[in-house]
Amino acid sequence: MTGKHGQPPMTRAVTGYVELHCHSAYSFLDGASMPDELVGAAAELGHETLALTDHDGVWGSMEFAHAARGLGLRPIHGAELTLDDDRHVTLLVASAAGWTNLCRLLTIAHAHTRDSPATLAPPKAGVQALRDHAEGLVCLTGCAERGVHDEPSVRRLLDAFGPDRLRVELQRPFLASDRARNRSLESLAGHLGLRCVATGNIHAHARSRAHLQDAFVALRHNLTLESSEPLRRPNGAHVLSSPAAMAARFREHPAAVAETAAVAAQLDFDLTSDLGYRYPGVEDETADRRLGELCRARLHDRYEAGGLAAAGARLDEELRVIRALGLPGFFLLHHDMLELAREVALDVRGPDTARALLPPGRGRGSSVSSIVCYLTGLSHIDPISSGLSMGRFLNPELSSVPDIDLDFPRDIREVLIRRVHERYGHDRAALVATFPSFRSRAAIRELGKVLGLPPAEIERVARGANGFSRRIDRDVETALGPNHGRSGRWAWLESLSREAYGLPRHVSQHPGGMVIATRPLIDCVPIVPAAMEGRQLVQWDKDSCADAGFLKIDLLGLGMLSAVERCVETIAQTRGERVDLSRIPFDDKATYTAIQNAETTGVFQIESRAQMQSLRRTRPANLDELTVQVAIIRPGPIQGGAVNPYIERRRRLRDDPDYKPPCLHPSLESVLRETLGTIIFQDQVMEVAQAFCGFSPGEADGLRRAMSRKRSDAAIARYRDRFIAGAADHVGAPQALAQTVWEMVAGFAGFGFPKAHSAAFGLLAYQSTWLRVHYGPEFLCALLNEQPMGFYPPDSLVHEAQRRGIDLLAVDINASAAECSVDATGGVRIGLGYVSGVRSEEIAALIEARDQTGAFKNLAELAGCASACQPSLEQLAWSGACDALAGDRRRALWELGIAAPGRRVPGGVQLALGLETGDAPALRELGRWEVLLADYATTGVSVGDHAMAILRPHLHGITTSLELDRLPHGSTVAVAGIVVARQRPETASGVVFMLIEDELGTVNLIVPPPVYDRHRHIVRAEPLVLVHGRLERPAHGGGTVNVLVSTLRSLEPEHLERFGSAGARLPDNRQAETHAGEHHPEPERIAAAGGLRAVAPPVQSFGSGRRR
Amino acid sequence: MKPVRVIKPAVGTRRLDDPRTARVLVDGDGTPTDVDGQPVAHVRESWLIEDRWWTDQPLHRRYWELVSQSGRDIVVFRDLLGGSWFRHR
Repeated sequence: MTGKHGQPPMTRAVTGYVELHCHSAYSFLDGASMPDELVGAAAELGHETLALTDHDGVWGSMEFAHAARGLGLRPIHGAELTLDDDRHVTLLVASAAGWTNLCRLLTIAHAHTRDSPATLAPPKAGVQALRDHAEGLVCLTGCAERGVHDEPSVRRLLDAFGPDRLRVELQRPFLASDRARNRSLESLAGHLGLRCVATGNIHAHARSRAHLQDAFVALRHNLTLESSEPLRRPNGAHVLSSPAAMAARFREHPAAVAETAAVAAQLDFDLTSDLGYRYPGVEDETADRRLGELCRARLHDRYEAGGLAAAGARLDEELRVIRALGLPGFFLLHHDMLELAREVALDVRGPDTARALLPPGRGRGSSVSSIVCYLTGLSHIDPISSGLSMGRFLNPELSSVPDIDLDFPRDIREVLIRRVHERYGHDRAALVATFPSFRSRAAIRELGKVLGLPPAEIERVARGANGFSRRIDRDVETALGPNHGRSGRWAWLESLSREAYGLPRHVSQHPGGMVIATRPLIDCVPIVPAAMEGRQLVQWDKDSCADAGFLKIDLLGLGMLSAVERCVETIAQTRGERVDLSRIPFDDKATYTAIQNAETTGVFQIESRAQMQSLRRTRPANLDELTVQVAIIRPGPIQGGAVNPYIERRRRLRDDPDYKPPCLHPSLESVLRETLGTIIFQDQVMEVAQAFCGFSPGEADGLRRAMSRKRSDAAIARYRDRFIAGAADHVGAPQALAQTVWEMVAGFAGFGFPKAHSAAFGLLAYQSTWLRVHYGPEFLCALLNEQPMGFYPPDSLVHEAQRRGIDLLAVDINASAAECSVDATGGVRIGLGYVSGVRSEEIAALIEARDQTGAFKNLAELAGCASACQPSLEQLAWSGACDALAGDRRRALWELGIAAPGRRVPGGVQLALGLETGDAPALRELGRWEVLLADYATTGVSVGDHAMAILRPHLHGITTSLELDRLPHGSTVAVAGIVVARQRPETASGVVFMLIEDELGTVNLIVPPPVYDRHRHIVRAEPLVLVHGRLERPAHGGGTVNVLVSTLRSLEPEHLERFGSAGARLPDNRQAETHAGEHHPEPERIAAAGGLRAVAPPVQSFGSGRRR
Repeated sequence: MKPVRVIKPAVGTRRLDDPRTARVLVDGDGTPTDVDGQPVAHVRESWLIEDRWWTDQPLHRRYWELVSQSGRDIVVFRDLLGGSWFRHR
């Protein structure tokens, strides 16, 4: 065997003990340290070389390779492979061929892990596979507990690997059986003429993680620490030790210690340079010519004579850069992909539908800035007229392949991903992996269980915990009282959760990132089946794929694109109009009025609480300003301090068109002109670095990349010195000014949009607002049918639509379709599919029966058609869907109890007799509150009374959302409402923003940290709140009103009497009866119904999406 | 009021295999050389137990299986939390 540079690999000088068996946290729920932590500890302990051998995977290998290179440690790659009989062998990569074989072996081991969709089977590989893929690998016989230790098996390994590439592995985990086992293994090795090698089977980089490793083992087996004792490691011998300590541990086996260095010297593979990946099309010599022809053919279609010259020049420049970078094949591949998407779209949409007018998908991200992408159909934004520069996407010093992100409607994307696998082959195309990691709430739940803490208390602490905070002790104290978290098992929970924070928990799939290769991808990285049938994953996440130089295409599903397509289709059906969204007027006054007044509930990107507040102040009046608007509420501009200056300068410019926004340095004027001297777009970070500091495009892109990666603080800091020095050299900027500009740039390190991406999203924001303004019912209907999506849950969308006059019609067994629909009068009817607990097949069968025999005349007929089981029919009755047949819900339930449906019994279906159900006894009518609870319990949407409309008569001194608009700044107010959203942005220093809704509108609440700490459980969990606070109407806020909260209480009807001090009271029964005949809530009846808390509609809650 | 009945353990009973304190001499590496006056001829094995760390009674012991010069098999451990030596058999 020779090394990659033609030299014998044995010349590599390695001395002392080398750790050849080490697990990271990518041995999921077994290893307890990240690769970079292992590397850091190894370097500190005096190791010069370290191997990473995770269980059946190389998930962390690229991260390990880069971390090791950064600290001057030599990485060895490998894996601990599980054999068919559950025993382990340790495989180490000796050459590029060895890496290929390891990847293929791991792919084989995982091939059948998803044969049964419900369970994840453990990966396993047979000895024959090992023999077939032995080249370039060194095999060790495995760990002390599950290694290959019998002579026949070791002989089979010897046949596969030969004596030079097989070692008998000795370990000393300080078990009572160590000496006997190692003597026996030494004897076996001697007998077979093999050498022994010592390994440490490391599972943690420091003692502090040894306890976490115990907890992980218990968690993996779904046991407590107590009951998992036989499965856990008996001591902390699996923590990384210094080479000297390891040599001392194996003092009885000095040859095995010396052999570690000999094996390490035998291994000569560098993952960062020896991968051999090539993306499709790179070898195609005609690609450049074909790409040029394709683009030029379309240039004349897209540009008028006036703009042709500029467009042609830009095209020539881009083609030159693309040629120089060797990327023509890459662009043709994407074009090919889009053509495939076009075929898929035709199949999915059908040829004669209104949505067939729409393109199959649209670009997002920086690729939108490319004229080549515009001409090949990958982007729908003209980069010339939108003023998009290509630098962020394409520049001559590009260090890696640019990303192209494509958005598709969900239904098209589902089919497209399958077709891509088929088109490029299952061994050449796969999705990118992601690794969901431990955050506080999951850690509290899972590690609390392992510690045997009381489940109810664990849940209470978890629900009140801040997802991204590591202060579990505070969470425990808030939930359970002071001093609770400071001792015993609760203190251990705090300590274990802190250690677990950020460690990968398991494998998942990236939302749409696909890797495509010319040579089989399994030669470069193992591929494993994904949980979804027909999909597969590479063993690397997006950062590792980028480091590997893989071509990654993001095929993303965008709910709003699906909603827009649905809307267009519904408009065609209800009004007979065919809407082509690319040809709508882009200066529609009504649309911009709605945007400026923040009437944007449900539209794309500009609908959130924060965006609405901002819209009233920025008042976008054209697509360019909307492009900025889309980008502004992002961590990058917020942390960079750009938001308020931009908004203020925009206002001043509106008041005085001659106003000149300040700019820190003349060199930045052209770069930041559009955003009024602030950094809003990601590309501006690069442009500032180039204009102000003289960075080359490649250097500037390096800075941008350092900012967009996780754990990037150190990388960004390295750029600071170059930035300050560059500013002095390039424009003569004094250090203080350079530091100020750097702070603007470094503040942007959080997530921000490239301008091209914002332009693409801004356009969709406009188009969706246009649909909302001109086709309100159809747009609402589309949103309701595409849930979950967007910021607002269906209940809020419905209430907001009602407030602007759209008629909402309740679910009805004879009038509703499976999905929501727009009826002839323009009302939106809730679909039967909204009734939870009724299977879609049952709904389809009911509708089919209704279509065949006409509308159901009574419940006996409905029950007799045997299309739905009894619980489903009862759920439909309780949702109010049968009110037209029975009068009300109670009567419908009673009648269904008599008119039993056909029942499935052994031997067939027992048909129901179509007997008359007779008259129901006198049943008490449901009160308004009970109807509301029934609505929420079944459809999750209330189209009748708003909760606050029912409670309002009993709440005195409570201001409505409408009245707030008329009160002066600083007024003390009490408001109440149903919670729609709770947010605690990382950028807001602990402030929580809540949005509550009453029957007349919404109210923004600002909850300062001390109030949040006092009322954390109310803020986080209560669906209905009563708030006291101070009204704030900021100057130049465009009419924005907030309530700064001082106290917060949960509001449940049974509590109403307690709010006497707040001016609220519950009338006694007599009062209730005389109140215009209304049925007021009665605490006992409501308690019996479970209260609102049990059935509250889901809300946007703390970045965890919608939940109850 | 009824007098409280106190249940006392039977005199002279103890759990089987309960460790008893031992007098152990060690060399510079911490390896036992003498247990309760019996010189150690040979170390058969040594192992570590670290458990119950999450409870009020954590356990951290270094065990030694020894052969005395008289040929007797002895198991002793050092409680690494308290520092004392105990004998199992």
